[in-house]
Amino acid sequence: MSTDPPVDPRGPRFSAGVTTVLLAVVLLTGWWPLLAVQAVIFAASAFVSLRLNTWGQLYRVLVAPRLPSTSEREDSRPLRFAQGVGFVFAALGVLGYATGVTGLGIVATAFALIAALLNAAFGLCLGCEAYLLLQRFVGTSSTATTGE
Amino acid sequence: MTGLWVLLGALAVTGVLGVLWRANNGRIRHARPASGEATSTEHAVPTQPAAGQRLPASVLSLLEPVPAGNVTLLQLSTTFCTPCRHTRVLLADLAGRTDGLRHVDVDVTERQDIASDLRVLRAPTTIAVDDQGRELFRTSGLPDRGTLTAALQPWLSQPVDPSTARRETA
Repeated sequence: MSTDPPVDPRGPRFSAGVTTVLLAVVLLTGWWPLLAVQAVIFAASAFVSLRLNTWGQLYRVLVAPRLPSTSEREDSRPLRFAQGVGFVFAALGVLGYATGVTGLGIVATAFALIAALLNAAFGLCLGCEAYLLLQRFVGTSSTATTGE
Repeated sequence: MTGLWVLLGALAVTGVLGVLWRANNGRIRHARPASGEATSTEHAVPTQPAAGQRLPASVLSLLEPVPAGNVTLLQLSTTFCTPCRHTRVLLADLAGRTDGLRHVDVDVTERQDIASDLRVLRAPTTIAVDDQGRELFRTSGLPDRGTLTAALQPWLSQPVDPSTARRETA
């Protein structure tokens, strides 16, 4: 899978904010098709490209033009890993809701919401941190080349 | 209504976790005094905390040569680390404007042995080291300028100027 170019770090936080609201709606209403939509977005972002993230596109079109430009960039690899983790939780949630195991649906959605809100409100990307720890203990693959 | 309660619970958990994480960033963790080492009383300032253990030799070799009386801010960074970049800027600036303080940034992405020798799990982690190679304190995440300056002051002979304003040229 090819690597995305580094991204404006405010984009993922905006996406996380939209995701948080979406997940909150799912928790409140139990309307899981919305969760399925988010699961698809997670999957596309993780396994194909961050550019496919709908909320990221919203950010680039609606929000970024209104903000001062920044030269800050965040590497895409931890972000995609984090989207992958989000996909796992969202998929488990959809599975739970769809098969009537509502408890699973609720718990998986709640965990995803905590991670998304931590990112949106505090700038803490749990998935990214997990990726970094994994890199540390499992070692980098040959695709990692130079340092910063 | 379950959904509402779970949502409220999730919000509470997020709040607690986020605040704890924020609080840990930049918090100064003083080194435990090295056991069995006699503290010299002639030069000791009453409020000065004791220096900790000497760093492992493999790490100290990266810091040589060490000017006498110098405190080194040893920063451990990795790739993919935006806070590391911010920390580098902050520490380089502090070191540049303070006599007796220097900054060394080490990329430990390929040197996991250094990180584990120093028991460092997170990047950036900054370790303050005296000229004897002993750890004074450490902090993870982007340091707060004021907190860091205050922690460094007992070890430096010159007052540290914590402001970000440019020094006027003489």
